[in-house]
Amino acid sequence: MVKRSEKAKTMRKLIKAIWIFNWFNSCGFTELIPLVGSRWDMERFGMIVVGTPRQADVLFIAGYQTLKSIKRAKKIYDQMAEPKVIIALGSCTMTGGMYWDSYNTIKRLDDYLPVTIYIPGCPPRPEAVFEAVEKIFGHVKELK
Amino acid sequence: MDTKEPKLLDEIKSKFNVEGRIQRERRIWISIDKERLIELCTWLKNQRFEHLSAISVTDWVKEGIFEVTYHLWSYKDKILLTLKTKIDRKKPVIESVTTVWEESAQIHERELHELFGVKFKGNSDLSPLFLEDWHALPPFRKDFDWREYVREEHYDKEDGREVVYYD
Repeated sequence: MVKRSEKAKTMRKLIKAIWIFNWFNSCGFTELIPLVGSRWDMERFGMIVVGTPRQADVLFIAGYQTLKSIKRAKKIYDQMAEPKVIIALGSCTMTGGMYWDSYNTIKRLDDYLPVTIYIPGCPPRPEAVFEAVEKIFGHVKELK
Repeated sequence: MDTKEPKLLDEIKSKFNVEGRIQRERRIWISIDKERLIELCTWLKNQRFEHLSAISVTDWVKEGIFEVTYHLWSYKDKILLTLKTKIDRKKPVIESVTTVWEESAQIHERELHELFGVKFKGNSDLSPLFLEDWHALPPFRKDFDWREYVREEHYDKEDGREVVYYD
């Protein structure tokens, strides 16, 4: 039998579900709607959207961030309780996407916030989002 | 064509020193000096041009002017009247029309101040809507090279991943 640390034990108790706070700009949200609907239905994997960052484990950031909205994103991230994870969706968050030469967008999210996982795609497929979340579950299960 | 458009244009021409033409039914274009703008706007508002649809600025960089355009709509006569005036590009100051159309003019002028740097004298709040901490030229000016700006601000030519942005 594997001997687990106190942290690993606690985390395994806590990780029954992942509570998500969404911070989406532009088309990011509409591309994530299929996840909520019955066809992909993210709640069956324990992914639940919450109304406040103070309850959330995971912050989803999608779409390009502007110089104004990134400040708000930082405030949201600061309000989340540890342990916290940022999942960035789409090519916008990685490179600026279509708006790589806009004066008003930020080009790379990890210059501003500690991004845990990037999900590529424009937009990412719902399955890719599940895979990213599965990696979080997997990480906790592998904790020793 | 209905007679209301020529009648209105003649009336404006007799009262103000304007150039104007009727493009088609329910569509009138007028140019006026900026000194008499507020006077004309007040008069037009009283002629039931109650709806200020939009304000826009055109940057004529070679001529050295900004052209400020007001789109007005009359619910009574169903006429779309476009009112144009020119201001100096080096000293872009114009009287605010918030005295005439109040709140609906306020937000348009605030946006144009942000994007073109035109100052609307008398507007209560011209703080930026989106461009917080902006130090470069107003971005919608024709002499603002946004691609050059982005390269300088955000990218590094030495970075192998970003060198494609310099092609």
